[in-house]
Amino acid sequence: MSLVLRFAAPRAAAAASQARQRRRFLTWCLAPSLAVLFVITLAPMVYLVVVSFTPLNLTNPATAWRFDQPLLNYRLLLSDERFLNSLWVQAKLSFWTVGLQLAIGVGFALLLNLRSGLLRALRTVFLVPMVLPPIVVAIIWKVLYTPDISPVYWTFKALGLSLPALITDPNWALPAIIAADTWEWFPLTMLMVLAALQTVPEELADAARVDGANSWQTTAHVLLPYIRGTLMVAGLFRLIDSIKAFPLIYLLTDGGPGSVTEVTNYYAFEQAFNFSYLGFSSAITVVLVAATLLLSWVVVHMTGWGAAE
Amino acid sequence: MRANRIIIHVLAIGLAALVLAPFLWLVRMSFQTNADIFAFPPHLWFSPTWANYAALWQSEFRDSFVNSAVVTTSSTLLSMLVGVPAAYALSRMRSRSNALSLWIIASRLAPPTAFAIPYFLAYRDLHLLDTRLGLVVIYLTFNISLVIWLMRSFFENTPRALEEAAWIDGAGFWRALVSVVLPTAAPGLAATAILCFVFSWNDFFFALILTRSNAMTAPVAVVNFMNYAGWEWGRIAAGGTMVMLPVLVFSLFVRRFLINGLTAGAVKG
Repeated sequence: MSLVLRFAAPRAAAAASQARQRRRFLTWCLAPSLAVLFVITLAPMVYLVVVSFTPLNLTNPATAWRFDQPLLNYRLLLSDERFLNSLWVQAKLSFWTVGLQLAIGVGFALLLNLRSGLLRALRTVFLVPMVLPPIVVAIIWKVLYTPDISPVYWTFKALGLSLPALITDPNWALPAIIAADTWEWFPLTMLMVLAALQTVPEELADAARVDGANSWQTTAHVLLPYIRGTLMVAGLFRLIDSIKAFPLIYLLTDGGPGSVTEVTNYYAFEQAFNFSYLGFSSAITVVLVAATLLLSWVVVHMTGWGAAE
Repeated sequence: MRANRIIIHVLAIGLAALVLAPFLWLVRMSFQTNADIFAFPPHLWFSPTWANYAALWQSEFRDSFVNSAVVTTSSTLLSMLVGVPAAYALSRMRSRSNALSLWIIASRLAPPTAFAIPYFLAYRDLHLLDTRLGLVVIYLTFNISLVIWLMRSFFENTPRALEEAAWIDGAGFWRALVSVVLPTAAPGLAATAILCFVFSWNDFFFALILTRSNAMTAPVAVVNFMNYAGWEWGRIAAGGTMVMLPVLVFSLFVRRFLINGLTAGAVKG
């Protein structure tokens, strides 16, 4: 007994010391990142919130660091029709882009869910729109929407039909943005769904078929429920990303005509960098950040990122 | 069943062509003269010209291309340097903070004005507006998060037995990390670096706000030309093609990891 203790004690002590050293080592690995993230993300975010309590206007230095009416910007927001309109435009843009990208993504994925070398190779083709620099996507669609040089307009002309100037027509501008955004991002949902579909155990679909389900029923009652987690995550990601929509709107419509394509993020950009109202713009941005945080929280919980394994 | 397969393949090729067409149209335009671009009915056959590219390379566009390359590469290297050890630590720690996870993911997904406004104000005071350094730092805001997320999942898949064996052989923790763990995670490191490169290269918003001329990057330069050079569509198309070329080439290398990268590791594609 005493013999065992005498040998075990130093070994246990050594192990404990190694564990301690290892913990210290891991802390040192993590510390620089946390310090950098603190300085470059947390501090600016705090600064943003502070600025949102001031009437900061870059053309008037006296407006900096004034906190006499800290909630003024937020009160103004509630009665600012352009802001309220931007929320509505944002809601429409998000609804249609997320909806279409999910619908088209799922549709194409179900269609292409075959084990075949050719289809596997074609998947690379579908990557192209989403890896292009967003500003290049905007240039591509600017070309398609410019009547003088657009193959789309030529085609209509050749058929004897006329197409309205989509991006300058108040009724068509938002749908035009939605179409471009859908082209850019449906491949993401499609590839996510395809990846998920290939994890569906074949017995599951086979069992449904044996029970007499046709392929529509199998899809609706077996495949889609099986991948609903992926669908949720894909939808949430596209939703969060749709709040950031910028290059397409900047290049195609500049928020117009009027303000029919002016989403909240774009309105914040204009207030800050076209009109110099940084305080007011910060308040708009704080609202957007809050929405993003909320949605990210949902994502973190759904995917178990935060959970210990 | 056989007929079905053929129909699906034909459909797939058709869809792929449809998806690719707008992109190919831009590339085609970049080799056309303005006369060809505006011709109606469009010329199916035209004699391709390098003139647009040559004109571009003579202009300031070349400097902005160099800016893009320098800023993107620096930011990628820095974020790997800082983020990789952190990802390793997180993959080996037993407890994880929910708040930290949320913070990292949210800073990756935040609307661009959230960082643009405070950085713009701070850079005015620090004289970092229109500098490459300024862009490198703001790109770290999303790159470090990306590195941590992606590398953490790569490290989780490297066997711990290897590094434990190295410790028993007397290697220190750092040595075990550098000479045992990192080599096993090499494909992950490469993919992560490429994704950082792609995301920084693709940035338009921050460069638009934080640069004017000296540090302007290629995506902003292309758009500027739309506003100032009249509607030189051939040159715009050539500029767009040059901006997307590096990204396309790199993306093909990492296509297996792309979905993973675009969703910050939520889904393994």
